[in-house]
Amino acid sequence: MIAAECGDAAACRRLVEVFLPAIASLARGFQGSRVERLELLQEGVAGLLFAARRYDAELDTPFWAYASFWVRKAMQELVAQLTRPVALSDRAARELSHLRRVRNELLQSDGREPTTGELSSATGLAPAQVESLLATERVPRGLADPLSSDDASGPTVAETIVDPVAEQAYEKVLDNLEIDGVLDLTRELEDRERAVIRSHYGLGTEARTLSEIGAGLGLTAERARQIEAAALAKLRQALAQPAPVGSVAT
Amino acid sequence: MNSTMASNGTALRHNAFVYASDHEYLARAVPFLKDGLAAGEGAIVAHTKPGIAMMREALGSESARVTFVDISSAYTRPARTLAAYHSVYSTQLQKTPKLRAVADVQFGPNPGEWDQWTAYEAVFNRSFGHLPAWVLCSYDANETPDPIIEGVWQTHPEVLAGGRRSASGLYEDPDRLLRRIIPPAEELSELRSLRSVGDAEQIRERLAPELTAAGFGEATALGMLLAVTEVATNAAQHGQGIGEVRVGRAHGRFVCEIIDRGPGFDDPAAGYLAPRDGIGSGLWVARQLTWQIEFFRSPRGFTARLWL
Repeated sequence: MIAAECGDAAACRRLVEVFLPAIASLARGFQGSRVERLELLQEGVAGLLFAARRYDAELDTPFWAYASFWVRKAMQELVAQLTRPVALSDRAARELSHLRRVRNELLQSDGREPTTGELSSATGLAPAQVESLLATERVPRGLADPLSSDDASGPTVAETIVDPVAEQAYEKVLDNLEIDGVLDLTRELEDRERAVIRSHYGLGTEARTLSEIGAGLGLTAERARQIEAAALAKLRQALAQPAPVGSVAT
Repeated sequence: MNSTMASNGTALRHNAFVYASDHEYLARAVPFLKDGLAAGEGAIVAHTKPGIAMMREALGSESARVTFVDISSAYTRPARTLAAYHSVYSTQLQKTPKLRAVADVQFGPNPGEWDQWTAYEAVFNRSFGHLPAWVLCSYDANETPDPIIEGVWQTHPEVLAGGRRSASGLYEDPDRLLRRIIPPAEELSELRSLRSVGDAEQIRERLAPELTAAGFGEATALGMLLAVTEVATNAAQHGQGIGEVRVGRAHGRFVCEIIDRGPGFDDPAAGYLAPRDGIGSGLWVARQLTWQIEFFRSPRGFTARLWL
């Protein structure tokens, strides 16, 4: 649990594997919401990992009893977000109408769905604006909706949803798992700085003295120490930037 | 609503309001932000995804000028939450001389956490006191436990209630509140001393294999090494030198104590003040990289206890 809280990727994956059936069980409670099941599961996983970063065993509350609140909350918020009716301003409605026309023209000329970039170029709208407008048109598939609009008697969306304990659905959630939340300071460092610190403190490699590290780089031990000190100062500065109070012209 | 300095002389205005419906939330939040935008101030909305969607819709074309922050995963640990908001506010203050923010607070239902997040709200007043920011903390009455709602009056100098803004007669000095609700540190006899730890580099060299043996990944271990460096530097500069370093496990967590020979300090907000000219930020850095840090006097000396 603590390893997962610290962002250990393997620990997080194990945590998700253990609790995915419980998350899926909670997701069943939202089956009538017209939100895709995989999205619900992934949002529930995000809630689980958030709970892991907050959880304190000293609370005397079993982890799932604690986490289930955040898992359910994450799913509720997703459903609320996706099923909320969207009211567009007049200008946005005109832009969406123009976007629809351009999209249909490109579909007919190219025989494929245009990309966001192509729609942006053709309409003059920023890519983010294109995506935002298209999102308002998104209609979640109903469980009873037929898969094909040409075959009303054919299989429905519900029939394509795999059993929640099926390996395939879980694998998809785990594959999409993005572990973040831990501050990866190593990304702030240059290769040589990272190498010096990793070697000096045996992080992912055998620990060596500064003399050995310096010799390996063709430097003195003192120079290696200076590189390390500069790296630590860089990390400190990255975490302690003051806000620019009073520096913006009015 | 005019943006003027807070009545207690700080640049920060830290208000709160409790809402019972989306309508009530929007009736407060939207005019507040629109007035600020009209005055050339920055605008920030910190909310869950549906809350953000609701505000985008309500703000209409003005939403293009607003920074939206998804706080679904922000409220992990108080120090990290402060750092996250500081980053957002800093980015905004690079563009506008002042800012307004409406932030929906996510305490959670577990009573064991309420003191911690009440302390967060209290220390917010000191942490960001120097920032030209008007922050409106919003509390959903349907989801927020009653003890938290009551605590709002203790942690926010002004509260919007019943359609009016009024100074809170129950507002408590942050330091006094922190001292009241933070439990005292307990003795951890199970820790053992590390040898030859006279300076920060030696502490890192002795601590690193302990962290590796405890199974921490590279990124977490580096974070902890940086945290102890900051604390050890503090001890060396202000604490008359490092007396002892102890490590071990307690309550399921890895613990490192740095004990110095000096008189110590008595500041319950140590390490929670956002970086600014004139004060050190080493403890601010250390708090972001650890689960918790306790500062206390013990028979061994003045102790900084870092939990991971």
